[in-house]
Amino acid sequence: MNGNFVKKSAAWVVNVAIAMTALRTNLMRSILTTLGVMIGVFAVTLAVAVGSGAQVSVMQSINALGSNMALIFPQPDTEGGRSTFDRGRLTMRDARAIEKQISGVTDIAPQLRTSIQLVVAGRNASTSAIGATPGYGKVANAAAASGRFISEADVRSAARVVVLGPSVAKKLFGDYDPIGETVRINRAPFNVIGVMESKGSSFGNDNDDIAIMPISTTRQRFAGDSLAGPDDLQMLFVGFEDGVSLPRAKREITRLLRERYRVRGKDINPFTIRTTEEFMKESAQVTGIFQIVLVAIASISLLVGGIGIMNIMLVSVTERTREIGLRMALGAKRSDIRNQFLVEAAVLCVIGGAIGLALAVAAGTALTIYADFPVPIGIGVGIGAILFSAVIGLVFGGYPAIRASRLSPIEALRSE
Amino acid sequence: MALVETQDLVKNYILGGETVRAVDGVSLSIERGEYVAIMGASGSGKSTFMNMIGCLDVPTSGEVRIDGIATQDRDGDELAELRNQKIGFIFQQFNLLARTTALDNVAVPLIYAGLGSEDRRARAKAKLEEMGLGDRLDHSPAKLSGGQQQRVAIARALVTEPVILLADEPTGALDSKTSEDIMEIFESLNDQGITIIVVTHEAEIADHAKRRIEFRDGKIIEDIIVANRRTVAS
Repeated sequence: MNGNFVKKSAAWVVNVAIAMTALRTNLMRSILTTLGVMIGVFAVTLAVAVGSGAQVSVMQSINALGSNMALIFPQPDTEGGRSTFDRGRLTMRDARAIEKQISGVTDIAPQLRTSIQLVVAGRNASTSAIGATPGYGKVANAAAASGRFISEADVRSAARVVVLGPSVAKKLFGDYDPIGETVRINRAPFNVIGVMESKGSSFGNDNDDIAIMPISTTRQRFAGDSLAGPDDLQMLFVGFEDGVSLPRAKREITRLLRERYRVRGKDINPFTIRTTEEFMKESAQVTGIFQIVLVAIASISLLVGGIGIMNIMLVSVTERTREIGLRMALGAKRSDIRNQFLVEAAVLCVIGGAIGLALAVAAGTALTIYADFPVPIGIGVGIGAILFSAVIGLVFGGYPAIRASRLSPIEALRSE
Repeated sequence: MALVETQDLVKNYILGGETVRAVDGVSLSIERGEYVAIMGASGSGKSTFMNMIGCLDVPTSGEVRIDGIATQDRDGDELAELRNQKIGFIFQQFNLLARTTALDNVAVPLIYAGLGSEDRRARAKAKLEEMGLGDRLDHSPAKLSGGQQQRVAIARALVTEPVILLADEPTGALDSKTSEDIMEIFESLNDQGITIIVVTHEAEIADHAKRRIEFRDGKIIEDIIVANRRTVAS
């Protein structure tokens, strides 16, 4: 058994040596053929990497939102059932009830949202404002890069203070430090108390184009009319401790709010709850499809490369018919001849695949550095690309190799 | 027991819709240690006969036995093994692998015999040294003369220690001086006990053999002991 194994592995080593000689003999042809596989592996590897990069960047933007939280909107949940509510419901009292009664809650961030116009010294900017509490900073991973964030005192006194997103600060003040300055928001003077840390952008959406002010201030000055009750919220973030099961937390919050609004049976809830986990799952699905489409398109080039391999292997078999006949006369079995050509095709493909992989790594690195888009090519993808190249060689080299192995020794020897 | 034995050997070809009988019922036996020349004009069937006893071609009917082994009903792989172990081939055009050193050329049959790389090199080197090519091991065929190339081919034929050497027009591509050198090698190999069968249309080459068989129209028309055999001594 062992001797047989040694014999077999020795034969493969010999085949690689024969393949290298044959490939060197037609160097230009080998290079051109391998170019097809090279481009194919390059395209597929890069497609896989760009797909995973998109996934990474989506996850990053979801994490920027806040890692472990539920988002509650006062919007009737539209799935099925009968609605007894003309509009959505969510109040500050609900928020406090959630904070008290649901286990694992770290912070809550009740919010009102509105559009505002900021003016300072002839410059103006319109942006969306979030009326928030200090909890917002903790739940949404938001902090002031300079100055300070909104305090409890600001909320209690409905202070006219604002924390600017970096984009808004830049637009209004340029490089000048805005802290302590006064801006007019919808004609009322506000004191700039801080500038937020940058959260970058996701999918062309500037996360830094924002202004944050105390929720009480927003309620008094901007949103009062659009709300039905004096206690209404437009959004509530609920942050959880690490390790809390979000689906369970969602069920508990749903039960609590249904009790509070006396929703029965199959009736529609006057609120909608989403969790970051759901966002991640949905995004993973979307980016997964994106990746599959990308890889499918790139695979076409690999298919073309494989056809090139088959073509050139057929030429090679025809050219070397006499050599095949000679080897058969000297004792080569069919499997010896078949393996010789299979190994030749695989070597050709693996060389092409390795170069293609190297180019993909280079292109991926360039994209990461210059386009600020993560293109991760891991060891797994690398090994996969090389193995896949070998498989391409075996698949497309298979027919020519089998054809070579079926030649009759005497006819092969007689051929010119 | 004869080393090579054929019984009513027939080979038909279909050419342009017509059946051509290349070998027509040949029964022959060659003993161990013989040196046989097979002669005949082109188209006489001598090469076809040779290919069948070399197990390169399959008879239409009849039997071939090599060293007591019946060859009919054996598949391609079994015949390949038989060729590898029992028969050494020498061709008119040498049939060496281009861009491959003399040593690697000689080692090819040993790959298929399943030998490891060390053994292959050692045995190929020994055979090339026997052929007086010990200083040409790393030369590719393009850097060797015709006579040297044919000696590499002889080393390759002998490297598996076969019982039969089959040579098809071995001097057809060589000048007469070099041809004599090759015949000298054949003679000494035969003296060492190797059975040699040479297909040739040249009388001078056939005269080196101990027995001469003449083919015409697929049949043996003459099978004689060579009377005035040409030897190195003479």
